[in-house]
Amino acid sequence: MPPDNLRTSSLDDETMKRLMKAGLRPFDGQAVKRLVEAGLTWLKTNQQIVNSLNVFPVPDGDTGTNMTLTMTSAWNEIKDSGEKHAGRMMALVAKGALMGARGNSGVILSQLWRGFARAMQDSAVMDADSVVRGFDEARDTAYKGVVKPVEGTILTVAREVAEATQAASGSTKDSIKILEIAVKAADEAVQKTPDLLPVLKQANVVDSGGKGLFFILEGMLRHVYGQPLDTPLATLQPLSSLNFENAMQEVEEGQDYEVVVDFFPNNQFELQKFYNKLEEMGTSIQVGEGEGMYRMHIHVPLDKRYEPIDYIMSLGTITKVAMENLMAQMNEIDARTKGSKIEFAKVEAGQIAVVVVSPGAGLSRIFASLGVAAVVEGGQTMNPSTQDILNSFENLPTDKIIILPNNKNIIMAANQAKDVTVKKVAVVPTRTVPQGLAAMLSLNPDGELDSIAEKMTKAMNAVKSGEITVATRSVEIDGVKVQTGQVIALLDGKLVLSASSVEEGVLGLLEKADAANHELVTLFYGEEMNQAEANRIADRVREKYPSLEVELQDGGQPHYQFIISVE
Amino acid sequence: MKLGIVTDSTSDLPQTLVDQHDIEVVSSILILSGEEYADGRGISREEFYKRLPSLQTPPTTAAPSIGEFSSRYERLFSRGCDHILSIHAAGTLTSIISAARQAAQEFPNRVTVVDSLSLSLGLGFQVLAAAENIENGLDASLAAVESTRKRLQVYAALDTMEYLRRSGRVPGAVAMLGGLLSIKPLIELTEGEVKAMGAVRTAKQANERLLAFFKSGSGFERLAILHTGAEARAREFLNQLMMEVSQSLPRDILMVNVTTVIGTHVGPNGLGFAAVRK
Repeated sequence: MPPDNLRTSSLDDETMKRLMKAGLRPFDGQAVKRLVEAGLTWLKTNQQIVNSLNVFPVPDGDTGTNMTLTMTSAWNEIKDSGEKHAGRMMALVAKGALMGARGNSGVILSQLWRGFARAMQDSAVMDADSVVRGFDEARDTAYKGVVKPVEGTILTVAREVAEATQAASGSTKDSIKILEIAVKAADEAVQKTPDLLPVLKQANVVDSGGKGLFFILEGMLRHVYGQPLDTPLATLQPLSSLNFENAMQEVEEGQDYEVVVDFFPNNQFELQKFYNKLEEMGTSIQVGEGEGMYRMHIHVPLDKRYEPIDYIMSLGTITKVAMENLMAQMNEIDARTKGSKIEFAKVEAGQIAVVVVSPGAGLSRIFASLGVAAVVEGGQTMNPSTQDILNSFENLPTDKIIILPNNKNIIMAANQAKDVTVKKVAVVPTRTVPQGLAAMLSLNPDGELDSIAEKMTKAMNAVKSGEITVATRSVEIDGVKVQTGQVIALLDGKLVLSASSVEEGVLGLLEKADAANHELVTLFYGEEMNQAEANRIADRVREKYPSLEVELQDGGQPHYQFIISVE
Repeated sequence: MKLGIVTDSTSDLPQTLVDQHDIEVVSSILILSGEEYADGRGISREEFYKRLPSLQTPPTTAAPSIGEFSSRYERLFSRGCDHILSIHAAGTLTSIISAARQAAQEFPNRVTVVDSLSLSLGLGFQVLAAAENIENGLDASLAAVESTRKRLQVYAALDTMEYLRRSGRVPGAVAMLGGLLSIKPLIELTEGEVKAMGAVRTAKQANERLLAFFKSGSGFERLAILHTGAEARAREFLNQLMMEVSQSLPRDILMVNVTTVIGTHVGPNGLGFAAVRK
């Protein structure tokens, strides 16, 4: 056992040296800070790998991005802190992660930190015992935070890490040994996730959240070993799982051009060398392979835009080059999202204010017309953080709040916002935009919070929700075969068909939704559709279902050509 | 003492009940394409609701004149009535009752004017309660009216917001709804006020919401299914009621195509009910 003075107060340098000599190798507050930084850096470096582990071929909130943003928020909380007390440092980490939690994986990650921090709040240094206690409490906190824990996810990885370190705690008091055991256990647990969760096996991937957790822990260990953290592991993804849309979200200032090169390499091709060379040129590197053909993706500055092409020319035969000006694209996106101002419902003290997460300007406007008091922008690809959600209602002049997340990957962040605010908050767990709109119709701002929330929860199930998008990867799920770039349709979150055109997708989806036996179809067209084309498709629906009322609305959401409600 | 009962045509009482209880009904006025129609004459309700959506100029309504009330009161007194009980549409929503009140001033202490704080059969059921107690005198009749009003529930699922918004008779909470999305508002008429009860987007959802009111209530003494030119829809709703909550329904159920004077402000294809709890 370590001496008692490891508890509560910070240690002086002498004691620290003595402990190091004794082979205990504990971490003080500043060392913990460097570990967290290393975990974040390594996760960031490998973010694209985690993002590519997407089960559904739809553009949605990417796990790698969400976990990185959550860790970044944790890092921002501690980066200027001179705290030497390890327990207090970890408490700051937990606080930062909690506020910045994005997406379900980010929320679970923040709960792991919360548990870890609670277990070692009185520990001046992080030694082997406090790490073991930390993992133990982290697991318990995360499991309790999920209504129905699912195995084969980040939770399983956290559990196996806790069990492995617990088992080893009798035989070593060396904190770094414990960390090694944790990383090994995480790695093995991640590999096992497809055996526990059939959808992972079906999609031929391991769990993304678990993999993200593994990278954080491995990053800490790599830091201890003095290994580099800024070069990603040279990984070759299957061509079908490359996803450049994600990369748009992390365009860095100065990296103005996106370059994509298809090529057949010659015999001397070495992946690691290739990566190292690309690292010198730019960022957001992804390399895919399919039937011998390689595809390279990179963001580079203006003056280096031909360098990757020249370099690859020396490595084999180039078959295709695509180059795009990212800044122009980003400006276009910015311009489109800025429209006329939306007027929200004015709530008074004591009334219920509803805040919604809305993925598009048109949808925000519709929500506002139904009496919403505030909108958090976000949705499919951009999951707002706990802090973003909090910000939306903290300044409203009432303490009764209802949150409609309108996305299954935002429900947990909404619940977390509920837990950290002093206001009285109810989360109505809407998983889609149509559900959110249906729920809004039951709002009575002067009603009693819980009973209105209950009414809204009941009302949200009055609709069927459809989504039309383009597959981001090739996969087969639930018997539906999908090729990258094909139009796909989801009904209440389930992949139901793939199609060769948006029109075919819409009509097929309506058939699956048994539209003939319903009254009203509302089509919300996305920013990638023009109005004339949307009109034409709406007319096709009217022709096919003459007894159905068909309403067309400008939703303005990205990535999804149509969001559809059937009721 | 002989008591006479007067109401206005927004009470929606079927002619058989009017005749049976000898109730004097003063017609409200519909103004359609520049012509005045005494409520119930010149244009049938069926025809009105069929034409309503395609009318170039929206119809408007007007209260009966003070003179109309005076002459009705006069007629009842000349037939031997000692006192008149005059029960009318909610004063917050129409000016009918103020015309009645002014006419009553010509007959000091001989006409008691009562604000039903309701409309259609919400008003009609109060009138019936008064008529049924007419033999027991004024106080008993007034007590019956009061008791009925306290147990009254009037709900409606409108097909569109348009007419209600145009009427200018709705509070902000109702008018605020919709605007972009087409919605069907649910309203409650209580104590003379139109209250928003949320909204739905399909007729089926509306039926379910109306049905839920019956499922939550214990039993009803009087019931009228109200509709605005939507008889098929009303019949279907009645069938649903019979199937699911028959034990809490009264023996006689009225089925009423609502007066054009109300229909002007709520629009066609609406469904609702007026009920008096046991």
